Amino acid sequence: MADYADLMQNVEGGKKDLVMTQVAQFLSEGRPPQEVLQEGLIAAMDAVGAKMESEEMFIPEVLRAAKTMEAGLEILQPHLAVGDVTVSGTVLIGTVKGDLHDIGKNLVAMLLSSAGFKVIDLGINVEPRSFAAKVEETGADFIGLSALLTTTMPMMEQTLEALETAGLRGRVRVLVGGAPVTQAWADQIGADGYASDAGAAIKVAKELGAVSS
Amino acid sequence: MRDRTPFEPVIQLRHLSDDTKQRIFDAALQVLADVGASVSHPEGVELLVRSGCTLDDSGLLRVPPSAVERALSTVPSSFALYDRSGSQAMTLGGNNVYFGTGSDLMWQYDVETGEHRPSGLDDIARVARVCDGLPNIDFVMSGAYPTDLGPQGVYLATFLTMMRNTTKPLVLVAENEVDLGAIIDTAADLRGGAERLREAPYLLAYVEPVSPLLHPRESIAKLLLCADAGVPVAYVPAPLAGATSPISSGGHVVQGMAECLLGLVVHQLRAPGAPFMFGVNQGSLDMVSGQPSYTAIESFMNYLTIVEMAKWLRLPNWGISGCTDSQAIDAQLGLEVAELTLLSMLLGSNLNHDVGFMGFGLTGSLEEIVITDEFVSMNKKLLSGVPAEDLDLAVEAIAGVGPKGHYLGHPHTRAHLRKGPGQWRPGLLNRDNRDRWVEAGSVDLREKARRKALAILQTDPPAPLDPGLLQRADARMNTLRRETV
Repeated sequence: MADYADLMQNVEGGKKDLVMTQVAQFLSEGRPPQEVLQEGLIAAMDAVGAKMESEEMFIPEVLRAAKTMEAGLEILQPHLAVGDVTVSGTVLIGTVKGDLHDIGKNLVAMLLSSAGFKVIDLGINVEPRSFAAKVEETGADFIGLSALLTTTMPMMEQTLEALETAGLRGRVRVLVGGAPVTQAWADQIGADGYASDAGAAIKVAKELGAVSS
Repeated sequence: MRDRTPFEPVIQLRHLSDDTKQRIFDAALQVLADVGASVSHPEGVELLVRSGCTLDDSGLLRVPPSAVERALSTVPSSFALYDRSGSQAMTLGGNNVYFGTGSDLMWQYDVETGEHRPSGLDDIARVARVCDGLPNIDFVMSGAYPTDLGPQGVYLATFLTMMRNTTKPLVLVAENEVDLGAIIDTAADLRGGAERLREAPYLLAYVEPVSPLLHPRESIAKLLLCADAGVPVAYVPAPLAGATSPISSGGHVVQGMAECLLGLVVHQLRAPGAPFMFGVNQGSLDMVSGQPSYTAIESFMNYLTIVEMAKWLRLPNWGISGCTDSQAIDAQLGLEVAELTLLSMLLGSNLNHDVGFMGFGLTGSLEEIVITDEFVSMNKKLLSGVPAEDLDLAVEAIAGVGPKGHYLGHPHTRAHLRKGPGQWRPGLLNRDNRDRWVEAGSVDLREKARRKALAILQTDPPAPLDPGLLQRADARMNTLRRETV
């Protein structure tokens, strides 16, 4: 069993160059790529998650660790079989049309990618039909819709209608969130999931799983 | 206990002009010189008369301003208290701010059952244990009166219980010079001799004259005993504005100062340079119900003046915090604890007692102590002012992120989280959103404080004391009981 403690430490500390070098080194030594992924990079992010829970690490540090992990993954990627990496699924995320407040959406995107989701961030003020077109284009498993304003919440419903119209509603799980959004609202508009904060969003996405799985 | 850097607020509250303070002081001197006081301690009276005070036929003792000025020139402007192990724990003076409990509460809100019941010796142990586990509680008073003990030797028993259950410095009440003597002997025994106790005082004695202008025999006797032993003493009257002192804030303070300063004069005549603490309690009387109040807004106004006068005289001061008139562990408690504690911090008040007091000093609550600890913790950050690293105006970071970006990934954010004090983390206060809060059981502040107190009570007590020390203390206790019976 290889010792990945040093690699994990470097992921946690955001030492991007070192992590990339170490991953390459492990591969050249003939370590199984799947082992480097699971026991090195993913184990590192699990440790980071635990430290965030115990208030030893802060959000910006977790973000840096996630980006560092991704850099290591890029080195690993060509050596992995298809399906090895995207364990959790692809998420399209954006703030709904009319809403320019994106810090909550950014937090969710960040934590989703650090939890192993592939995140495609469509940014702010996203038209309902743009969400639909992107689902078609990327084959995403989830859509995350964010609204901070009560005035933009109805746009969530319109986005769901656009998906319906495009015949894509059955292919994706739709998650909604944002300060004024509630479980009752999610139920009312027919969303698949609701999360009250970024941490909960990861849990909900994992529990729901992709439609196909 | 760790010898920590004392907390001193950068943001400070002052409201009296130097001229006003001079006039208040002059008025107190005038009361001492013209009205005088009744001092019921022959040796104390003799000491005062030999030094220029006069005693008239009615027994009133008058103190000339020169005697007060002389005492003020010999009394130290600061002194230290040391913990059980002999490490320096508190430096009282300047604007250093410390917190601790009060003494002798007759009732407790039982932390386990929520029941309001009479206090016992066990409560003294619990208060000491909880204080021992709270980082922002610096010293300990008994918090409870042991109504389950007979009257003899109560204060020595109280002291021994406190000493077993906390290593923090103690502030003590005693009945007279006999039991205070037994307490001081036991503290000297702990240190390994009276001289060692003088060098590293483990306790401060709290002594009160009686308002208006009455100095009982026992009060002066305890004061002189402390002077002899080099044990710090606070000589603090507790006048009630409108009842045992003038109702005007100025009048309340003038009389209280005259009472305290007479104590200072006797104390410094007996032992020039011995450690003495200035103070006047701030209470007022509700003129509708006749109920005394610690936390009426008029009491707070008296308090501001009292602490400012201590600063002006450059004397370590006796203060108050973490206390409420409320009869319930409720929002009133939170509000009054917060206001009074913040005032003490803003004033740079030194020794702030009565944390955990409810209902005009009759009921104690461990929850209230825990809540005050949290409040002090967060406001130490506030009143330390904006640290140098936060005066970095971050224009480069703003330029780096630009419109539509965010700061979560910017190195500036990460660097700041680990620089200086970082973000203050609540231990009790809620930051959960509705869903998480409900999921965690909808726990309110009182319940969180209760659970924290119970958790501290589950931890290991301080190291046991030397059995020889306890045996000798028991022998003193037996003597005390025989002598008083």
